[in-house]
Amino acid sequence: MAVKDLPIVGDSFKLGYRLQRYWDTPMASAFFFGELGAGLFFVSLLLESAQGMMAGLLITGLLKTYFHLSHMGVPTKSWRAILRPDRSWISRGLIGIVCFIGFGGLHLLNVMGYIPGFGGLLKLLAGAAALVVMTYQGFAMSHSTAISLWNSGLIPVSSLTYSATAGVMVLLASVPESAQFLIPVALILHLVVAAVLLSLLHAARHGSPGARKSAELLTRTLYAKWFFVLVCGAGVLLPVLLLWFAGNVPLMAMIAATGTLAGYYTFRLLIFKAGVFEPIMSFRP
Amino acid sequence: MARYGMVFDLKRCIGCNACVIGCKQENSLPDGVFFTRTLSEEYGVYPAVNRVYIPTLCNHCEDAPCEKVCPSGATYTRPDGIVMVDPDKCIGCGSCAVACPYDQRSEMKAEAFKDGLFGTGEITPFEKQGYPRYTPGMVTKCDFCSGRVDAGLDPACVVTCPTDARIFGDLDDPNSKPSKLIRERGGRPPLPEKNTRPKVYYID
Ligand code: SF4
Ligand code: SF4
Repeated sequence: MAVKDLPIVGDSFKLGYRLQRYWDTPMASAFFFGELGAGLFFVSLLLESAQGMMAGLLITGLLKTYFHLSHMGVPTKSWRAILRPDRSWISRGLIGIVCFIGFGGLHLLNVMGYIPGFGGLLKLLAGAAALVVMTYQGFAMSHSTAISLWNSGLIPVSSLTYSATAGVMVLLASVPESAQFLIPVALILHLVVAAVLLSLLHAARHGSPGARKSAELLTRTLYAKWFFVLVCGAGVLLPVLLLWFAGNVPLMAMIAATGTLAGYYTFRLLIFKAGVFEPIMSFRP
Repeated sequence: MARYGMVFDLKRCIGCNACVIGCKQENSLPDGVFFTRTLSEEYGVYPAVNRVYIPTLCNHCEDAPCEKVCPSGATYTRPDGIVMVDPDKCIGCGSCAVACPYDQRSEMKAEAFKDGLFGTGEITPFEKQGYPRYTPGMVTKCDFCSGRVDAGLDPACVVTCPTDARIFGDLDDPNSKPSKLIRERGGRPPLPEKNTRPKVYYID
């Protein structure tokens, strides 16, 4: 018997792979809205769109917070998550979010003329904090060796690229005047997303038994149809085709953005669901 | 100071799961929660088939990833090497659960405490005395029955095991039973490639 032949055994008393089940839909939603909001804010900051910045802050500040709290087992003590930045990416990320909302809000007020001075410094701090929120969730996942699919430097890269891509697409769909500049950027970002997805799958297929099992779940068994139809089809192929052939048409840009977000959300969910714990093979059959 | 660990003798384990029941009873675990499991696996081709039983619990890792990722400081290691979870500090974020390569963390879902062991909403006196040690919603695990260890006793699973397949003791003492077994019979830690330095070993 080889480890690769063992089945997925759920929560039973059999030896085999166990699906990660602790971080599920609420956590995937929190990750999605956190990165979407920060990405939208960051792109809007570069293009000086006050509405985009406000939307980004609201998405991260309200939706990410809501889904995090609904995931927590003891939500009333959630503030404690900030206590160990010396060792935990969750603590570092929480500090990043507080800075993002604080500096981002101050920068927005500055842009809108409500508070004077420090414009350049606030912009720099808000941008840096947004970048932390765009990536830290990837570091929180890749840091641990438990789930081989996640234990890869590509996971923070996927967070950053998806976050920036989603930000660009939302801005493109809501501010059609920016199309001329944003369409080429969006096309390049979708190609980077495709490259990251391929690299992630390639690394998983040639990685440890757990990573191979996860790659199998994503491309051949349990989650294959969701992965190919939504993550690859709706999330990458559809937006690239629409942007290439009709990106200047506002309706097409909106459909493309919807596809990107659907693919991105599905990716966030599936990357959690396809994570597996490896069986303990501490015996000689 | 001792450094506690455990050895599982796979030649002795008969898969009776007495340890699992002993653990549930000692720790007043709600429905569906197990701090220890005895996994089974069949192998070989008929007629040369066999079945092995593999007990599992928290390995009280020296480099415990669950402790490193815990953002609230709830997970900590005692000086004697027992990895603990403080119910007053845990926020139930589950970071430790996804960081443990051995899937040894358990969510103490709030509903389980309300529904009771029989799922009727009636909480038996047994549950009433046991549940206050947990905060509903926390994520916890085996603590080698730290209360019993402090009182000079072995963990409940060890004393319940009818075949002496679980051997508990001080790994820093070269003359302790687990140290000798590890040395003489080549004890192997689970998933050594995860670099967590478990204090649980398997011999067969
Ligand atoms: S086995 Fe898991 S829960 Fe126990 S100390 Fe190691 S990492 Fe933590
Ligand atoms: S669930 Fe509790 S013990 Fe686990 S990482 Fe979160 S706060 Fe720490």
